[in-house]
This record gives sequence, C-alpha cells and structure tokens, in this order.
Amino acid sequence: MTDLDRMLHAARAGRDDLPEALAQRMLADAAGVQASLTPRPVPGRDLHAHGAWRALLAALGGWRGMGGLATACAAGVWIGVAPPEFLPDPAQLVLGAQTETETLGFYDLADIISEDG
Amino acid sequence: MERRASTDGPAEAAGPADEALLRLFAKGDPQAARDLTGRLGPRAFSVALRVLGNRAEAEDVAQEAMMRLWRMAPEWEPGRARVSTWLYRVTLNLCLDRKRRAQAVDLGTVPEPPDEAPPAIEVLQQAARVDALQAALMHLPDRQRQAVVLRHIEELSNPEIAEIMGIGVEAVESLTARGKRALAGQLAGQRAALGYDDDG
Repeated sequence: MTDLDRMLHAARAGRDDLPEALAQRMLADAAGVQASLTPRPVPGRDLHAHGAWRALLAALGGWRGMGGLATACAAGVWIGVAPPEFLPDPAQLVLGAQTETETLGFYDLADIISEDG
Repeated sequence: MERRASTDGPAEAAGPADEALLRLFAKGDPQAARDLTGRLGPRAFSVALRVLGNRAEAEDVAQEAMMRLWRMAPEWEPGRARVSTWLYRVTLNLCLDRKRRAQAVDLGTVPEPPDEAPPAIEVLQQAARVDALQAALMHLPDRQRQAVVLRHIEELSNPEIAEIMGIGVEAVESLTARGKRALAGQLAGQRAALGYDDDG
C-alpha cells in the first residue's frame, strides 16, 4: 500500500459523516417540499356535506348539463305563458272540458209553457 | 447522522431501494425523507467537501443538491438512472458553478484546518494526512479531481463515474490515472511530515 493509498483510505474513513445541523436543514427542506406536495383540505369546508348534490350534478352531465336543463325549463315556462299561434292553448289542454250552451228559440219556449198548462 | 446503505448503491444491503424511497417521499412519507437523508446526504456532502475543499461551501452545495432531489421526487421516472448517480451529477454541477463564480480564490488557502478533536497523536496525524491529501487534490484540474474523488474516495465503478461525468469509461480511466500520478508526485516530499516514516 502506497502513502497515497493510505491517505485515500483515511479520507474514506470520514466520508459517511454528515454534520447533524446539515442533516436537520436537509430534513427541514424535505418537510417543506412534502407540505407543498400534499393537498390540504380547505379549512371550514365539509367536502362530504355536498356529496348528494355533487352526485346529482354529475348525473345531469355537470354544469354544462345543468345549463341546458335550465334553458329548457325557461323555454317551457315562456311557451306556457305566451304560446305561439300554431300551438293549442295549454290551458285548454290541461283543463280539458269546454262549456257548451244550448239556446232555445222564442217559439219553443212558448210551446213549453203552454204544455205545462 | 447515521447512514443507511442503499439497495441500489455501491454497498447493497437490506431496505427499500432509493427509488422506492423517493416514491414514498413524494407521497408525503416523512420516514422516507429521513432514510434518504441518511443514505444520500453524506454522499453529497463528502463529494462536495473533497471537490470544493471548503466545509461551509460543501454544506451549502449538499443542502442544495438534496433540495433539488426533494423537488424532483414527484417527477422521477422509474428506471431512468440510479438516484445516487443523479445526485452525484447534480452535486458536481453545483460545485462547478461555485468554482466558476469564485475563480479569484487563492487555492493555497482552501484546505480546512482539522476539526476540533481529541489531541491524540494518531488522530492528529490522520487529520494531517487528510488535509495534505485535500491540499493536493485542490491542485488537480477540476475533472481529474472529480474523477479521483468519485473513484478512490466514493469508490464508484468507472462506468458509473462515466455516467455521472458524461464521458466515456476510457476517459475516466485516463483522468483517474493521471490524477493519482499527480497526487503521488505532490505528496512524495511529505512522508516524514505526515508520519509515514514512523509507521512504515
């Protein structure tokens, strides 16, 4: 073994030493990075409370689906209020019955009276 | 801090591979951060210390190299490279950046005084040898010094050094051979001062 080999051996003996203060700084950096990587819930907001609403929204196709649904509802209400000419009156369709009156002529009424005596 | 051997490092031992630890780290596992610091922190610090020859600068570089490792963890591509190889490369690049910024530094003043230690003759002699080696290392050209440190202090294989330094294996062999010859030449006149006449 040469003198240089002995010196290199001596240098290798201390290669695994990590100053404690440096190790603590490295760990503090690591904790900071981990904190930025881990998503945190918004304080004061209960994500589960809106679960049913979120499920309904998803079933309707999200906000885009909700927009289409709202537009269709508004159009339906307007058609009900002011139907176009070519459409039947929705009020008649809903109520169904029409009031029919039968008029009697003047002479018919006189005959009825005379029959009663 | 205690160093725990890596399964994908030079010394194979029990425990998850560095890459697995990196995945755990990205998921927020604090133990993975401790394990990686114990395994790889000393590697970054040791290389930076031998290449820069300055303890304070080496600490800064090692901390910055580990910070880059933490930030890169979520994007690590499995099988891309060894984590330790990646860290060595980052550390050496940071060392080169420092040296470029500090070209005016007088290299003769760079070697650090030995750490405060018990005043035993053997300990002092060992420290004097390491300091003499460090002084000689600092007189090598940058690439030779990096290759010698990675080969003879970190004990990496030539192919891994070639990957870290971005050169061929033959170039690594040439750099380490020339570096070692230059070191031996510089230290030849210091045998008695370093106590080699006493212990053979």
